[in-house]
Amino acid sequence: MSSEQTRMFFREAVSRAVREEMTDNPRVFVLGQDVGSFGGSYREFDGLYKLFGPERMRDTPVAEAAAMGIAAGAAASGFHPLVVITYMDFMMIGFDALINYAAKLRYKTAGRLTAPMVVKTTAGAQGQGVAHSQCIEAWLMSVPGLKVVAPSSPADAYGLMKTALRSDGPVVYIDHKRLFPTPGNVPVAEAPVPFGQAFIRREGRDVSLVTHSYMVRVALEAAQMVEAEGISCEVVDLCSLAPLDIATLSASVARTGRLLTLEEGQTTCGVGVEVAARIFERIGPKPWSRIGTLPAPVSSNPVLEAACVPNAGRVAEALRSLAGHPLTTSSFVTQEAS
Amino acid sequence: MSDPVERLRAMLMIRAFEDCLAARKDHGFQLLSSGEEAVSVGLAAALGSADQLLTGGRSIGPALARGVDPGQLMAELLGKVAGTNRGRAGRGHLSDPDRGFFGAHAVVAGNISVAAGVALARRMAGDPGIVVILFGDGASGAGPLYETLNMAALWQLPLLFVCNNNRLSVSTTREAGNATKNISDLGAAFGLWTRVVDGLDVGGVAAAASEAAGHVRLGNGPAFLECSSIRLRSHSTTARETRSRAELAALRELCPIEREIALLEGGGQLDPARTQALRDEATQKAEAALAFADASPYPDASEVLNHVE
Repeated sequence: MSSEQTRMFFREAVSRAVREEMTDNPRVFVLGQDVGSFGGSYREFDGLYKLFGPERMRDTPVAEAAAMGIAAGAAASGFHPLVVITYMDFMMIGFDALINYAAKLRYKTAGRLTAPMVVKTTAGAQGQGVAHSQCIEAWLMSVPGLKVVAPSSPADAYGLMKTALRSDGPVVYIDHKRLFPTPGNVPVAEAPVPFGQAFIRREGRDVSLVTHSYMVRVALEAAQMVEAEGISCEVVDLCSLAPLDIATLSASVARTGRLLTLEEGQTTCGVGVEVAARIFERIGPKPWSRIGTLPAPVSSNPVLEAACVPNAGRVAEALRSLAGHPLTTSSFVTQEAS
Repeated sequence: MSDPVERLRAMLMIRAFEDCLAARKDHGFQLLSSGEEAVSVGLAAALGSADQLLTGGRSIGPALARGVDPGQLMAELLGKVAGTNRGRAGRGHLSDPDRGFFGAHAVVAGNISVAAGVALARRMAGDPGIVVILFGDGASGAGPLYETLNMAALWQLPLLFVCNNNRLSVSTTREAGNATKNISDLGAAFGLWTRVVDGLDVGGVAAAASEAAGHVRLGNGPAFLECSSIRLRSHSTTARETRSRAELAALRELCPIEREIALLEGGGQLDPARTQALRDEATQKAEAALAFADASPYPDASEVLNHVE
């Protein structure tokens, strides 16, 4: 396989994956608000309406509950819909069809029906306030029958979308407002990224920093900040939240001896605690700590938003604290709320 | 199913089946449809094998009317592996798409938008069959109905909305649950073909359902049929009955099955001996379904993680 790469923006990588899968599989179609001639809220479907028309790039009214249910019904009937929920906060409106119906359909019918659908939604804070900023992926990780992925780069945005559109059950694909305009290399050849695989983005010896989505960029920045101080931080990108790649995560923490989890969602019942528990079940307890958005709604106020959401400075502080912690103990390392 | 005697046979089967199930100590949590048989049977009479029916959780009558095997259905309701879904769906979620019963979804109003998705898929695939969603008056205040009515109308989906208005949502009366004069007025607001029909008259339901299905089948867009019926049992096998004995006795006088028998006997299409033979036949079939279910084992506990993903 060729290793030739091409440069593109995150939003273009999404569009390319959808275009290729729609071309290969006439059963794939897109529905959601502003996905048609408008090309998606972040232009992530640019050009697809011209190629595939209104039947397969199907605009819907503002009606998340019905859009999710229609996607589930079409999926159960042999199609492979990609339903777009503009912001992750609005997924709550469609949870019945997704969680009570689609995620359970294979189980409850003993395999007679399945719902191969992709819910693409956009998470994260960027000035839009308390009901347009949330990262609720941890809620979804606990739903049996649901797969959850969250790319951090154009290559993964492309590869995970391809895999999502070939999966045989419901997938939640989470992108991020701040990632759409970011560029990166993407393989020229078709390159699906498998689910259940985490990736080491930066190697290190002292601490494993496990994160996903936009926070991978924050993690890399923090790792760079503490490098000059002699702290070697490994950054692991989950990519796939359900299923989790416990083998890669455990191997990393076994090497470094310490774990810091970082997420833009809440830490209570968050991705981080699940990651830590699953790793420690396998390799025994290690010193660890977790960072997430502070336990408050994320305001559109720029000062309050910045104070709420994790940043590289806060992560670097946690890395210093954790790296200074002796490896002989296994206690949770307390962080000061900043 | 245009033969009135066949329709009566189907209604008697639903009643006998549910009575047989309800008489069991281990019947589990069930939502029965006694009093609503004419809705299920009249509706099924208007559908063909290429059509699909989806329902809420009150699914037993509609599933039988659609042709789901009584033995497999009973096994499903009692949690046995010979059930339509290996006994893991129950009446709330059973599915037998090969018989045109796409499935139940026991979250009130939850299956309405799913049905629209099935309808969209059929149209995109060029499949001529139509899709019917059957729901109770209890679903008529829920958001997904309104969203789906709008989108089905915008997209002119091959979808027939059928409201089985049995006038009670657990304890809440239809008048307390929906502000419209007729629930089918909701369909009219979106430009749908609409009709209110006496849901205790199986012939009337069959004629109206046939007209509604024909409208949808011809590509004229969705339709909304409201069937006024009665519920002769409490909401579920575990719910308290909210009505007095006198009220229930008065309702039983309206029984759609006895009404049809009187009609057919009066018209000379049946005589009492033949009617009794039909009743006996229904009881025997229900007992046979129960025997089939009893002969089937429960799933092994090791199956618990099968088919999760």
